[in-house]
Amino acid sequence: MNTPVLDVKKAWVSRELKHDRQLFRAQFSPDGRFIAAGGQDKLVHVWELDGEKKKTFNSHKTWVSSLVFHPKAKRLFTADYLGVIHCWNHEAGGGPQWTIPTADQDNVRALIVTPDGRFLISGGDDAIVKVWNADNGKPVGSLEGHKECIFSLAISPDGKHLVSGDLYGSVRQWGIGSWKFERELDAKILHTRLDNFIADVGGVRSLAFNKDSKLLAVGGMKEAKSNAFCPGKPTVLIFDWATGKQKTELRIKGKSDGPFNAMCFLEDGTLTGHTEILHSDSELTFWETDAPEPLHSIKNGSAYDLSLHPDGRQLLVTTYVSGGSSGNGARKRHREQYTPNSTNLKIFSLFSKPAAKKAGC
Amino acid sequence: MNHIPHNHACGNTEHGVSRRQMLGTLGGAVGFGSLLQPGIAAEIKKQHKQVCLIWLDGGMSQYESWHPLPESKFGGPFRSIKTSIPGVHFSELVPETAKIAHKISVIRTMETKDPNHSTGVPRIQRGDPIDRGVIYPHLGSAVAKLLGPANPNLPPYLWIKPGNGGFIAKEAGFLGAQYGTLALGDGKPPIHIHRPDGVSAEVEAARNALRLKANERFKAYRGASEIDAYETSYAMARQLMARKEIFDDSKMDPKDKERYGTHPLGRHILQARRLLEAGVRFIKVNSYHWDTHGDNFNMSQRLIPQLDRPFAALINDLEDRGMLDHTLVIVMSEFGRTPIINSRLGRDHWPDCWSIALAGCGIKRGAIIGETTKDGAFVNGEGYDIGHLFHTIFTLLGLNPRKTRYRIKGQKLAIAHDDCEPIKEVMQ
Repeated sequence: MNTPVLDVKKAWVSRELKHDRQLFRAQFSPDGRFIAAGGQDKLVHVWELDGEKKKTFNSHKTWVSSLVFHPKAKRLFTADYLGVIHCWNHEAGGGPQWTIPTADQDNVRALIVTPDGRFLISGGDDAIVKVWNADNGKPVGSLEGHKECIFSLAISPDGKHLVSGDLYGSVRQWGIGSWKFERELDAKILHTRLDNFIADVGGVRSLAFNKDSKLLAVGGMKEAKSNAFCPGKPTVLIFDWATGKQKTELRIKGKSDGPFNAMCFLEDGTLTGHTEILHSDSELTFWETDAPEPLHSIKNGSAYDLSLHPDGRQLLVTTYVSGGSSGNGARKRHREQYTPNSTNLKIFSLFSKPAAKKAGC
Repeated sequence: MNHIPHNHACGNTEHGVSRRQMLGTLGGAVGFGSLLQPGIAAEIKKQHKQVCLIWLDGGMSQYESWHPLPESKFGGPFRSIKTSIPGVHFSELVPETAKIAHKISVIRTMETKDPNHSTGVPRIQRGDPIDRGVIYPHLGSAVAKLLGPANPNLPPYLWIKPGNGGFIAKEAGFLGAQYGTLALGDGKPPIHIHRPDGVSAEVEAARNALRLKANERFKAYRGASEIDAYETSYAMARQLMARKEIFDDSKMDPKDKERYGTHPLGRHILQARRLLEAGVRFIKVNSYHWDTHGDNFNMSQRLIPQLDRPFAALINDLEDRGMLDHTLVIVMSEFGRTPIINSRLGRDHWPDCWSIALAGCGIKRGAIIGETTKDGAFVNGEGYDIGHLFHTIFTLLGLNPRKTRYRIKGQKLAIAHDDCEPIKEVMQ
């Protein structure tokens, strides 16, 4: 079968996997056969896409905050709010192959594996990027320099550089292998602390390189108006990787008020990202990165993660679904119907929907 | 003449007070002497009850503080940690309070009615009495009226808040402006508290006498409310002028600053302790921006420790100074936060089942009150409305809320909701 032509303007939802709790992270496996997801129910869920068989992995004692597949081996790494990282065989099932019990003092917010599969890298609340042996979880190094918690990590496609983004809008570049600090990119616009705030808001919530490592997209939100609702303007900054200078600031068309939690580049250089909004619909947005206005956007609920299938034609969007009881109380009269919100793992096919076959043909 | 039904009551018509009577007392014990018979006043003075209300405006999440339930479907991601009470757990975001849990009580089954800030804040701070077509005073003004100043040389009701200060008359409701509060912006005294060097004490006294005389003359032919407010605020400012050492940072132990924290809420609770030590009857400490509809877990991680340390330090300090037995400390908001987590990973407003913390002045030590559903979303059985809390507070302050009455335009008004009772489970 020929690979369909990439056309984000014709994207459509080709598959949905529903889960009765809120999931925060979901990723395709490198072979495209699995989806792994984790979130509020402390479980790691792995769907086999051919036939929808599902495995559940149970060892985390709190919310699953991050996950990443090993690029080559049958390994899935998952992390949680208590600083624990587990390594699983997502195909065989069973308990963790090994565990890092204290990868962070608190929340491990980001995980990534180097393209050669040798190193697992984590970042989180203690503001230290940590490098682990991806085969056994032994510590390799600690990269210090961030002054606040780390939200995001990315590795350049050539495998030479790691970037880490923090609450203050600092993006720090490190050499892979040397583990030396190389430079800092300024994304401070994504952090807000007004005089009347009692907490810092925002941060670098997502990072993505384009395929030839010429551009780095830095996602979050700017101009937060309070530290309570935390509403801001969803923003993506495009940096020229060679110079480290910001080239473009990307906007959304709709009315989302939360940060870009995830982004990825498509093979034609289009960038896609998704934000959150309170009690309304947000949108899946696509840009050609040299223009601030979106190329296209698709109305969708709030979403927390994106993952591009290895075929480059399917995009997994971890979409929030309201159970109908969100918003302010009082709800006493409806207490029997008061249930948590849920998730729809939507797979968007990024091409024109094939025409339905006529009956009898 | 009516019988005084309770030794601390002020329902007697003789205890009603006109603005003119009240003005006669300004600059000293605001209204106290004219409200109560001398014997009763002496009794109340002896009791020297004080209150510190720590108000987390917007609503703190009970799941991220006093009632964590991480194993439930609504629990957050944070650890549940042991407290100094065997078998009782708080969130890991309140580790210092967990150490002193045996000194405080937590009510986990507050069940109030209003899910909105604009109506909820005044409703809660006024005790939500039965609507009789009048505007009830906020708790601080009510206590200022009912007990008067604990120290006759200091205002009975001060409010420490971020931002600007100034005299806030509307807190007093139908009691009239003289029971309003002087807000200390950022915990600092009113500006111009210091008499300029070029103005002698004699000149200052003469100026004040002239000012009072002009006010009296102006008031003789006009409505007095605005003048009352002005007079009261001026009197309060003069009282604070005489006690400016209370605000002198150089006299503060650096270790105290460290223990309470350098963030606004820490500094303000420490300033509240100094004012309590000086003898202020009622102090409200406000912190804003707790309304975490968005990013609740990142925000709670940063906000709640700002309460934890100074609250625990305050309880310890009051106890060390022998003040906890007569000082009631209350930590609360207009409501809690929803069990359900919304699309922005926030929690919304939740009056159905939420938690408050209390300590001192007859509050049980180490009591955890109320049974909720396993997931913490709803009260099992009957919850406590704000009226119950007001009955509890007034009772602990030595008042009888069943018998004590305000008098307004000839009408006797209950000081707390007629249909509520004190929460006996939380009282010693």
